[in-house]
Amino acid sequence: MNGLRDRTALAGVGYTGFSKDSGVSTLTLACEAILAALSDAGLTTDDVDGIATHRVGDSAAPSVVGPALGVHEPSWYLDQFGGGSVSHAVVGQAMLAVAAGVARTVVCYRAINARSEFRMGGTGRGAPPGPEVQYQAPYGYVAPPQQFAMYARAHMTKYGTKAEHFGQLAVTQRANAVRNPRALMRTPITMDDYLASRWIAEPFRLLDCCLETDGACALVVTTAERAADLRRPRVLVSAAAWGGGDSFLSGGRVDTTVSAAAELAPRLYRAAGIGPEEVDVAEIYDCFTYSVIVQLEDYGFCAKGEGGPFAASGAIGPGGRIPVNTHGGFLSEGYVHGINHIAEAVSQLRGDAGERQVAGAQVALSTAQPGYVLPATSALILRRG
Amino acid sequence: MRPVPDRDSAEWWAAVRRRELAVQECAGCGTWRFPARAYCPVCRAREWRWRVTDGRARVSSWIVAHQRFHPALAPPYTVVRVCLAQAPGCVLYGTWVGGGEPVAGEPVRAVFTEVDEGLTLIAWEPAG
Repeated sequence: MNGLRDRTALAGVGYTGFSKDSGVSTLTLACEAILAALSDAGLTTDDVDGIATHRVGDSAAPSVVGPALGVHEPSWYLDQFGGGSVSHAVVGQAMLAVAAGVARTVVCYRAINARSEFRMGGTGRGAPPGPEVQYQAPYGYVAPPQQFAMYARAHMTKYGTKAEHFGQLAVTQRANAVRNPRALMRTPITMDDYLASRWIAEPFRLLDCCLETDGACALVVTTAERAADLRRPRVLVSAAAWGGGDSFLSGGRVDTTVSAAAELAPRLYRAAGIGPEEVDVAEIYDCFTYSVIVQLEDYGFCAKGEGGPFAASGAIGPGGRIPVNTHGGFLSEGYVHGINHIAEAVSQLRGDAGERQVAGAQVALSTAQPGYVLPATSALILRRG
Repeated sequence: MRPVPDRDSAEWWAAVRRRELAVQECAGCGTWRFPARAYCPVCRAREWRWRVTDGRARVSSWIVAHQRFHPALAPPYTVVRVCLAQAPGCVLYGTWVGGGEPVAGEPVRAVFTEVDEGLTLIAWEPAG
């Protein structure tokens, strides 16, 4: 028995609106999302004693956000460097802090002006730091869509994964977004639309790529005991796992068709005491279509190499074996660097997801970028309780 | 975009200027590694020496950039990811100068492109 299982809970979620130009600072976005999450939980800033985020130098720090909300002496904070791969580790670290009694009410947020201020798509932004960049950037290999296209191509070559598999995933997620009032992209798309969308970095088309979004999302982490007395149905953190691996240049990971999630998943499921067959809904990090395909395999929903046909089979749509990215994901809801996936999982487990509700959802998986940029990933298993 | 060598990589880039594709060989366990760093990740030995490879590799994957990802680089262009023949755990990226489209597993060789007096880059072409 894992000593952390079900000891903490997600008691509230909060959002700003999503847009292409928020017109405000990331500090304002962070404060707005945190206040919304606290209100959702029935709490106030007086209750907050922990603040956490992940960022890549593009957003307001916890040390700035805390005082801006009048939280002057948090007993715990975390300013985690990193992108999507650490998004779920932030909540995992908050789980540890709350379970250890270091903090009682932690707000985890991600605030980002990813379209109007700091684009990740490779235009108008300098190369990210890190010793490996010097071996890639001189060749014009500088942006995430190129990196993930490289890995997608290897999967296509090895397993016969097709453009139509990626396309069906994009079509399914857009259909989910149509049922999500928060989503930025709510016009249905067809396979023809997908195939006709312009090349970005072959084999990726425009509709393989996530949105670049301005917005923020926040979560409230507290003890399971306390969450039982708060205003929303309780969502327990059954398990959090995060960890590293080898980077692609370190010599440890040559075959890119297996992501770091393959190493993480057994540890995650063991900590939760369940297997993939018990997961009712999965919010899977979809910076690109391919990152979902590979994680469907590496989190055990289908055999290795069959992620493409599985995604195209209807198994991931409403009423399918495992509904995926019910909010539309980064491809169609908006890109808040992983936190909006966790928030959607919470909503599904509370049963307040409206038209896109997965009937009777009791267990959710939410995952981070599967270790294709920094050699780390992270994930959560949440349970209605 | 010019590379910015660091204290671990400066000698490697200097070798490229001499048209040498080098990797480190661990003096402790003999493992070849790239990119350059002080300690062997296999045996933790700190002693090593440069080995100039034969520049042969195989294509692991490739992309064709269609969007303008950098002001200085006009699309379309193809970037390949290759694994060295003498050390398949050593992965490099580079511009594809093969003409047609690469093929997965295709044997390739390094081509040294002198950009200017201070910079040489590596491209890859079919070895067949």
